[in-house]
Amino acid sequence: MTAIAKSIFKQRWIWSYLGMIAVWLATVTFTGGKGGAEIITAALSFATFTVIVGIGQMFVITTGPGNVDLSIPATIALSGAVAMKLMGGDNSMLLIGIAASLACGLAVGLFNYMLIRILRIPPIIATLSSSFLVLSTAISYGRGLKVKPPQLLADFTTMQIMHVPVLAIFVVALAAFMAVVLNRTIYGRSVSAIGQNMRAAALAGINVERIRFRTYVMSAVLASICGFLLAGFSGGASLNMGEEYLLASIAVVVIGGTSVAGGQGNVAGIWGAAIFMFLLVTMLNTFGTSAGIRLIMTGLIIVAIITIAGGDKPQR
Amino acid sequence: MLKKTMIALATAAVTLAVLPAQADTSGKKIALSNNYAGNSWRQAMLKSWEKVTSKAVADGVVAEAPAFTTAENQVTEQAAQIQNLILQGYDAIVINAASPDALNGAVKQACDAGIVVVSFDGIVTEPCAYRIAVDFKKMGAVQVDYLADKMADGGNLLEIRGLAGVFVDDEISAGIHQGVEKHPQFKIVGSVHGDWAQDVAQKAVAGILPSLPEVKAVVTQGGDGYGAAQAFKAAGRPTPLIIMGNRQDELAWWKEQKDANGYETMSVSIAPGVSTLAFWVAQMILDGQKVPQDLTVPFLQINQDTLEESLATTEAGGVANVEYSLEDAQAVVAGK
Repeated sequence: MTAIAKSIFKQRWIWSYLGMIAVWLATVTFTGGKGGAEIITAALSFATFTVIVGIGQMFVITTGPGNVDLSIPATIALSGAVAMKLMGGDNSMLLIGIAASLACGLAVGLFNYMLIRILRIPPIIATLSSSFLVLSTAISYGRGLKVKPPQLLADFTTMQIMHVPVLAIFVVALAAFMAVVLNRTIYGRSVSAIGQNMRAAALAGINVERIRFRTYVMSAVLASICGFLLAGFSGGASLNMGEEYLLASIAVVVIGGTSVAGGQGNVAGIWGAAIFMFLLVTMLNTFGTSAGIRLIMTGLIIVAIITIAGGDKPQR
Repeated sequence: MLKKTMIALATAAVTLAVLPAQADTSGKKIALSNNYAGNSWRQAMLKSWEKVTSKAVADGVVAEAPAFTTAENQVTEQAAQIQNLILQGYDAIVINAASPDALNGAVKQACDAGIVVVSFDGIVTEPCAYRIAVDFKKMGAVQVDYLADKMADGGNLLEIRGLAGVFVDDEISAGIHQGVEKHPQFKIVGSVHGDWAQDVAQKAVAGILPSLPEVKAVVTQGGDGYGAAQAFKAAGRPTPLIIMGNRQDELAWWKEQKDANGYETMSVSIAPGVSTLAFWVAQMILDGQKVPQDLTVPFLQINQDTLEESLATTEAGGVANVEYSLEDAQAVVAGK
């Protein structure tokens, strides 16, 4: 039994779950047990979106130092705007909307990789500059237009079974699938190998560029799926709806136990971290702290979780 | 009263042609320096600017009036932009500023170069600039006044604030708290930051809602009412009276509720067309007219009986808007 406990605590992702439980307990204690279950339902619904983009970001970060996708917010905005405008609230256009949304993600991913590979721009700069282009496209295309999502999409994204959001169930399944991809497929192992040492990976016969290409495209496509669902969930796309997912996508990856230096990814922790982040804001809102204190507390608690989780252990 | 004035203004803006060119300013160039374009309010603001200024240019009132928006909503970026505009020889710069004081250096440089600086919405504190400010405190206070009128017994309020650390957020919130002091039958039981964005508001409200007692009304800052309504619906709670912020989605939702169950509320915000008011004020100053350094622009309030009318003239995805004419600007300057 203690051996099992020991091996569990060695897992770095466990700390995001412990943080999550601690924050929830603190909130519920404060409210005197009121609303505990509803808070979890709300946390699940909103964490879902962070998890979707977090998974893409995790793969990108795992491919090694300097790899990060900063175009996620812009992709969310573009995908949501294009899909909602095309569908115009019509259920029968749902498939076309999904296709358009995925096409947006695909295009952004291809463009990002092209900047990184052909123009040899560092990923941070490449994805940041492409995000300007993408957001500008979204602005000129949508002009801030808020079109209601088709009823089917709105119903699906807000549906709950026994107070569990259906979307969350799907995304748990997605996370499980991606965990298998990361740990048990050649692609996933290659991502980790590249992140640990790109040269060694290349010498071992891994097609580094193909793996990086897939990873950036996957991240953008996941962001576009997130944009599509988020627009359905919140009653329409808005230009700034992706904004908060820039830092959130990176934060959940890091808090979830993935190594910022790359080479060591973790899917399970993303869920814990996403719920933790939501509950943290809820807790501080419930306590009625001012915005300044709330931001300081958020920063301190995140630093604390990362420190307790052990930070980056030297790999070599 | 205010409502009537605004309708009058709106009608005036639509029907009255711009006065014939004034020879004095026909060669002048006025630039708009804008710090952000990523939401529907700012988009409407830019659109109004374009619409009114392109007509003014065609009529020969001014030589040109382009709009420039910074990409990153950064003070340094906007300061650099203002310096560029100085070098390019504009006669007046109209600013929606990223910060009330951090741009003062660049604004002073512009003034020293003999350029007229008019700030609006996001105003600058540099004394040499003109300010077209909104009485944000009052915008908060009228919400509670309205509620006091509607609910004599008072009750619990949920406050949705804007972007933390921004001047406008502090002002509106201060106004709301003043209103609550004036009407002690109300109590603010929760306060969240919705960043003036409905999805952020939805998330924040959904988080705090389970821990709150019954909420009678939601006081807001605009752009967050629809998100709040979504959050209440998702939590399976009865929809409280939510003050709206003139966004089309908010008005459309209100109309839906009104038709379905007679839902009553009010909506208040600044018309994005305030950019055109700033344009005319700049033009008047260039024309040599006397303009006070500090002006106040009325806000646009929509009530139960004007809802349909406002909704009809507000385009999907937009914000209820009023574009100002030179006459309107003259009226504001005259303090009417």
